[in-house]
Amino acid sequence: MSEPIKTVGQGINRVDGFLKVTGAARYATDYPVKNLAHAVIFKSTVAAGEILAIDTIEAEKAPGVLSVITHQNAPKLNPNGGLRGGGLLQETKIHFHGQHIGVVVAETFEQARYASRLVKVEYSKQTPRTDFEKLEKEASTPKDKDKADIVRGDVDTAFSSAEFKLDVVYETPIEHHHPMEPHSTIAVWEGEKLTLYNGSQIVNGAQSSAANTLNIPAANVRIVTPHIGGGFGSKGGQWANLVLTAIAAKMVNRPVKLALTRQQMVNSAGLRQRNLQRIRLAATKEGKLTVLAHETTTHCAMNGEFVEPCGDCSKVMYEVPNAKIAYKVVPMNLILPTYTRGPGKATGSFALESAMDELAHQLKLDPIEFRIKNEPARDPLNGKPFSSRTTVQCLQAGAKAFGWEKRKMEPGTNQHGDYMVGYGVAAGTYPARQRDSSAMIRLNRTGKDIKATIELAASDLGTGTHTIIAQTAADGLGIPVSNIDVRIGDSALPPAAGSVGSVGAASFANAVNDACIKITDELILKSGKQFPVRPMASALMASENLKEFQTRVDAKPSPEADNYSCHSFNANFAEVWVNAATGMVKVHRFLAVTGAGKILNPKTARSQIIGGNIWGIGMALTEESVVDPRYGNFVTRSFADYHIPANLDIGTLDTIFIDEDDPITNKLGVKGIGEVSIVGVAAAVANAIYNATGIRVRDLPITPDKLIRKV
Amino acid sequence: MRPFKYSTINDIKSATNRLATNDNARYLAGGTNILDLMKEDVERPDELVDISRLKLAAVQPITTGANKGGISIGALGKNTETANHPLIRQAYPLLSQAILAGASAQIRNMATNGGNLNQRTRCPYFYEVSMPCNKREPGSGCGALKGINRMHAIFGWSEKCVAVHPSDMCIALVALDAIVNVQGPNGQQRSIPFEDYHRLPGDNPEKDNTLNPGELITSIHIPRNNFADRSYYLKVRDRASYAFALVSVGAALEMNGSNILTARIALGGVAHKPWRAKEAENFLAGKPATVENFRRAAEMEMKNAMTLEHNDFKVELGTRAIVRALSQAMKGGKHEELPA
Repeated sequence: MSEPIKTVGQGINRVDGFLKVTGAARYATDYPVKNLAHAVIFKSTVAAGEILAIDTIEAEKAPGVLSVITHQNAPKLNPNGGLRGGGLLQETKIHFHGQHIGVVVAETFEQARYASRLVKVEYSKQTPRTDFEKLEKEASTPKDKDKADIVRGDVDTAFSSAEFKLDVVYETPIEHHHPMEPHSTIAVWEGEKLTLYNGSQIVNGAQSSAANTLNIPAANVRIVTPHIGGGFGSKGGQWANLVLTAIAAKMVNRPVKLALTRQQMVNSAGLRQRNLQRIRLAATKEGKLTVLAHETTTHCAMNGEFVEPCGDCSKVMYEVPNAKIAYKVVPMNLILPTYTRGPGKATGSFALESAMDELAHQLKLDPIEFRIKNEPARDPLNGKPFSSRTTVQCLQAGAKAFGWEKRKMEPGTNQHGDYMVGYGVAAGTYPARQRDSSAMIRLNRTGKDIKATIELAASDLGTGTHTIIAQTAADGLGIPVSNIDVRIGDSALPPAAGSVGSVGAASFANAVNDACIKITDELILKSGKQFPVRPMASALMASENLKEFQTRVDAKPSPEADNYSCHSFNANFAEVWVNAATGMVKVHRFLAVTGAGKILNPKTARSQIIGGNIWGIGMALTEESVVDPRYGNFVTRSFADYHIPANLDIGTLDTIFIDEDDPITNKLGVKGIGEVSIVGVAAAVANAIYNATGIRVRDLPITPDKLIRKV
Repeated sequence: MRPFKYSTINDIKSATNRLATNDNARYLAGGTNILDLMKEDVERPDELVDISRLKLAAVQPITTGANKGGISIGALGKNTETANHPLIRQAYPLLSQAILAGASAQIRNMATNGGNLNQRTRCPYFYEVSMPCNKREPGSGCGALKGINRMHAIFGWSEKCVAVHPSDMCIALVALDAIVNVQGPNGQQRSIPFEDYHRLPGDNPEKDNTLNPGELITSIHIPRNNFADRSYYLKVRDRASYAFALVSVGAALEMNGSNILTARIALGGVAHKPWRAKEAENFLAGKPATVENFRRAAEMEMKNAMTLEHNDFKVELGTRAIVRALSQAMKGGKHEELPA
């Protein structure tokens, strides 16, 4: 018997690391496809109105051009096939600036782009609805039933009689996902069969929405997406560019590559909506919360509704007898908002956790103590017990590790030369869920050498999915990681959950673990023997002298989890240095403490956590997509204008995981960390800036001008 | 990309002649700006004349003439090499700091000194062909004047254009009274004081500078000065690197005992050209180098600002930045590091 293999919980290197650093890992448009033609999308230059005429004659005559596709010659597609945001060239109506209105296909990308600029479009223009500051007054209750008002107790009465209270509005701007790999696709038709190489967080979802939109059977569409250069929600639901590539390939009868430019990303693949969040928070003088009302006003598209759930954290974070969660939305001539890392929670926690800090200050309570005083015993929304909850542990462990005792209670009193120093804390949460996933294991033995192939249509956004699947399989089968071949990112494989909503790791690892158990059971059965100690599949392959063996499992979440409230929790700590003269802020230290069940790989997990932290710091300090309401166009269309943090913006980042065993959430106790890593981050930074300066900025990002206006 | 002709040349005369005979030709050096603009269809040259083979990269002391003892910087020297050149670091640290405050390491490795002067504004209306911009398309209007103008000018703008010049390097050069040496199509050479090199938009925002058709920058001269011990480049921006200035200040002081003999103050992010704060400089000459005097000088300069809807903060920010840059210059001009 060989040593049992124990890799889960070890911070092993990524199994695809070598491929990545050598450039051998293939992203969607890296596939070597012969006879490839190149497509470029062209877009509406008005935000509202109608296309009266499109003149493509000059474009068609341009060098290298194979086809110019507009609503005039595009095949009929199903606009309700599951793709988001419109722009399928099926109509003359313009819903937003930058709506796709055509595609040029040419021999080269440069030829296609040049020709796209020769297309002449005549519009009847309407005044665009893009001025949120004016339109927010028209906002009304969303159609989405999940956004119906939730009311507990009597908010108004309790609030009016409260001694310590706060009634303020927090504002967050439009943000874009801007993954390093912009949305890009290669489409190849072979007869009726279509292969789409395309970054897809939900492989099977991309398959069905492409098929439904094209009005062809899903069996005729194959999605290939083993490596994805980030998505953050924008590659969850797919957008028109996926199917426009397919119809372009059909029309020129050649494989076609279509890659969006960075500038085109602002109105092609969704956005995080701008939110106004009114928070009413009240407490007794002892620091017990009495009221929490979280009312969000936002915008959606003219051609679709999406409202991110900003009130979600307020549902579960604190024990409070009088509560209200409500939403209002107004359609605008902008692209459809969509899921964006920590949807609703990243933004909602900025409001809630800033408000908690503000009220703690009023109460002269330490903000950690204030939170712990209001820790709920059960989920305040539905009364279910928590499967596990680590808020207090995260806060306490973080306070200790961060040196919270060095924080000055009185804001603006910690001066170091030209700098004002401040500490901030904020807590966060995100639901933990497992979704249906199938997995296939194939074992092959040559002499003593046993190899396993693991197959499922999972996706890897760059987070380490390949690696955690290999680790789970290695431990479950008794085969070293180096002998595990992980095949994911292909709709031809057994169907799996998406890498969305922090369900990926839990769904994939449990499916693979179930498959390991099943294949071992089947091998034991096949052997016809009794074993005093349950043997590993690898040992059985050898003892039974088997060359090949395989099995498939269709894993489902346990129904028991529904009886509990299952979440990841965190606490974030920020130390900021604010230059008193210039208002520039440096996040000198940041610590995220996370309770997220079993951490399959602490190394890749840390990377994912600090990635979320960095985005959260960007959200707090730099990121903002700005619309010129006269045109409905963004003025922040490149990384020169849309400021994601640079290395110099980020100080020391530390990560602590709370050891947590939660077999209720799912069999392996895996909770997922992709989303929770951004929740509470912006509030921690904003709270630290308040502690440093005494200035409370309630609209993000906190740029130098906002601070110097008030100092 | 629009089809265009690409040619390489090996001598200055051929280069200037090509541009003199084709209004639609542009020089290509580092390519860090023109290629981006061509991809976005903002610049539409039909010919690029690649001048990168010209021997114009040297950084060397000036040994003769009026600026003897100063330094000559080749037009085709890379920004990175210039910033890190020992002679620049020792004698002109303001220039070194300013260059390193700009762009990113990757861009500075490609970008040339001459190209830095000739880069176009980063005004988002200039960069997007579906929006109006008099600089890109004269007569189409200024999108920023009544639009999103947080990043825009507070000095010297016109109804036609409120864009700002994006360079950091040029702020140091104008503060140091640099001279731009150019050569024209017939071989004639002239020297342009840095302050006169860039222009205000007036009625012709399409013209960024005072070059005549075909003229090529060959070198930049900086006269010898006594500022090396007391200069500082301060850039206030939305993120710590790779962001254009909200306001930047190049400050240099020469002392006579405890009094200021000469002050040089230039501002970036505030005007269509690198902005010399002459009023503040004149006020400070002969006065003690106190924070109070710095503040009075700064307020004197900034009171002339004409703000737009979103950039009124630049007045207060500019005032503070001037005071801070001068204060840092007095402390020896070293960049501060936060404690670990």
